[in-house]
Amino acid sequence: MQDARLPADARLAIERIRRADLVIGIPSYNNGRTITHVVQAAFAGLAKYFPQFSAVVINSDGGSTDNTRDAVLSAQLQDSHLMLFSTPMPAAHRLSFPYHGIPGKGSAFRLIFEMTKLLEAKACVVVDSDLRSITPEWIELLLRPILFAGFDFVAPYYLRHKYDGTITNSIVYPMTRMLYGTAVRQPIGGEFGISAALVERYLERDDWETDVARYGIDIWMTTVAIAEGFRVCQSFLGAKLHDAKDPGADLAAMLEQVVGSVFMLMREYAPVWHNVKGSVPAELFGFRFDVGLDPVPVNVDRMLKAFSRGCAELGEVWEAVMSPRDYTGIRQLAERVRQGEPLVFDDELWARIILDFACAQRHKRLALGTILRSITPLYLGRVAHSVREMEFMTAADVEQRIEQLCLTFERLKPYLISQWNGTSPQTGELAPHEGHLAQRQPDDTRMEV
Amino acid sequence: MIETLKTVLEAALQRLHDQVTMFLPSLLAALTLIVVAYAIAILVRWTIYRIFKGLAIDKFLRQSGLAFMVDPSGRLRATRLAAEAAYWAILLMGLLAGLNLFGTDLTTHMINGFVSLLPKLLIAGLILLGGTWLGQYLGRSMLVWAVNENLPKPRRLATIVRVLIVFVAVVVASDQLDFARNVFFSAFLIVLGGAALTASLAFGLRRGNTDWLSEKHDNVEQTTERSLWNHL
Repeated sequence: MQDARLPADARLAIERIRRADLVIGIPSYNNGRTITHVVQAAFAGLAKYFPQFSAVVINSDGGSTDNTRDAVLSAQLQDSHLMLFSTPMPAAHRLSFPYHGIPGKGSAFRLIFEMTKLLEAKACVVVDSDLRSITPEWIELLLRPILFAGFDFVAPYYLRHKYDGTITNSIVYPMTRMLYGTAVRQPIGGEFGISAALVERYLERDDWETDVARYGIDIWMTTVAIAEGFRVCQSFLGAKLHDAKDPGADLAAMLEQVVGSVFMLMREYAPVWHNVKGSVPAELFGFRFDVGLDPVPVNVDRMLKAFSRGCAELGEVWEAVMSPRDYTGIRQLAERVRQGEPLVFDDELWARIILDFACAQRHKRLALGTILRSITPLYLGRVAHSVREMEFMTAADVEQRIEQLCLTFERLKPYLISQWNGTSPQTGELAPHEGHLAQRQPDDTRMEV
Repeated sequence: MIETLKTVLEAALQRLHDQVTMFLPSLLAALTLIVVAYAIAILVRWTIYRIFKGLAIDKFLRQSGLAFMVDPSGRLRATRLAAEAAYWAILLMGLLAGLNLFGTDLTTHMINGFVSLLPKLLIAGLILLGGTWLGQYLGRSMLVWAVNENLPKPRRLATIVRVLIVFVAVVVASDQLDFARNVFFSAFLIVLGGAALTASLAFGLRRGNTDWLSEKHDNVEQTTERSLWNHL
């Protein structure tokens, strides 16, 4: 059965190839500078670790105006002798198609998944096209748990600079872990291994035309896998080094798409996460090692200015969204910053605010886009606080701080549930009967869902 | 003289008597109608409170977000709104029915005018309500966007958007009611033209406009956001 959404040349390619065991998907948009390296790493990984399987490398392109597609089709694995191959490598197919539909990473993934299904592949790996640190081992680490250990979803586990991955560290990781009880450290990492069953489940869903089509795709894939009970694990990939994103891109829009997807999925999976307590880490594969990381330049003053400006201007929006207690907390923070004191945006206040925003969108207190976009100054304030706090911390200390934040989110879950279901959305206090539940259970157990 | 005065007084009293005997039954009937309408209004209000409470309509409105659409605090109580609306509507109908009993030109004219105006009033009210909501919605969107884009005076921009939209709603509503149509339409054109002219002047006269834009672009490229996006 052919899918009407597929481009004609993709349908022709499927008729020609008929079936493949493995699919490597590479979404791209003007990544001509780096995509050759990614394609070469994919080929080398397939040849080195999975020579017994037939494979296809698919580039799903969003209409690049540089040489991205040519680079994909002409990439050669020239240094095969460096990998000590003694036998000729099987040639993997390589394809490059422009995808149709809403421009964005999610739409690119959709084309890759549809081709994976039509080719009856056992597993699919998706990797970003701007990676500079990808090696052939990434392909093995993302595929092997699916092919030989029965997992359905392999998330990446990277080492990142302490100032990098701020949306992940401050919102998406703690929220996903608190909600669904599985700690996946990089839920929006960008590189994933996916089983055929999970690919099929993704394609069955009808929310491809939402923010999922854009930056929401990563958290959507991770959340669906965890919440629907697919077997999820992580693979240690080392460092993630990649090209900087398009500087013209809009931070508020990215936050809106990512956080909006988290909130959208919260509504869908409310019956699931209501019954989850505590969290357990997803199994981690791969050999852990330390690597050097690119420094990440940050401009704290600019973030503080954005935070202060938000506090001065967005009162009417935040007042409608946050509980009175949290709004008062933010106003006090803003006042201290105005008086020249350092910003101390503690975990408890930050977590409560994010939960307030989640409940505000659930109760539709304001338009969804307004709610989500008004997070940006708060997020920048929290990042400014984190950057200052982590200035002299080691990577291990930073990880410990993130763990503390996650535990704060987990401790506040009864608050989330009471606000989510509550009849009085403006109350900021925990109900008395919920106070004892707010203490984290020492055995850190999780209910099966 | 006395006889004449007596005749005049008797005539006046007779006229008063005639008027009283003519209007008193109507007045009594009107008062009865109003009292009955009042009783019905109280009964209906009580019934609506009971029915809506059983249906948990307020909870539904709050959870669906409709309550926040009209009242940003979310404290809107649909039960109270519906009950009070029904109460006052029944009272108004009783009053109109009572007035109708007099059968005078004035009351007939008032009632006819009200009845013919009622649909237009309802539509105009809906237009104003919709305009207010749209003004709030777009005003807030403008506010958040302006803050995130670091535009000057975000709240002023949001207020301008709100006022413009509400003003458009008022123009449309007045057109619906045939009320000072030309005045409002002319005012609307003047405001719109003025706004366009102001905007043109603001952009045209802004010194160093190009420098400002290029500086903003450079800042975006060089500093914070780039590092914040790397994780995605």
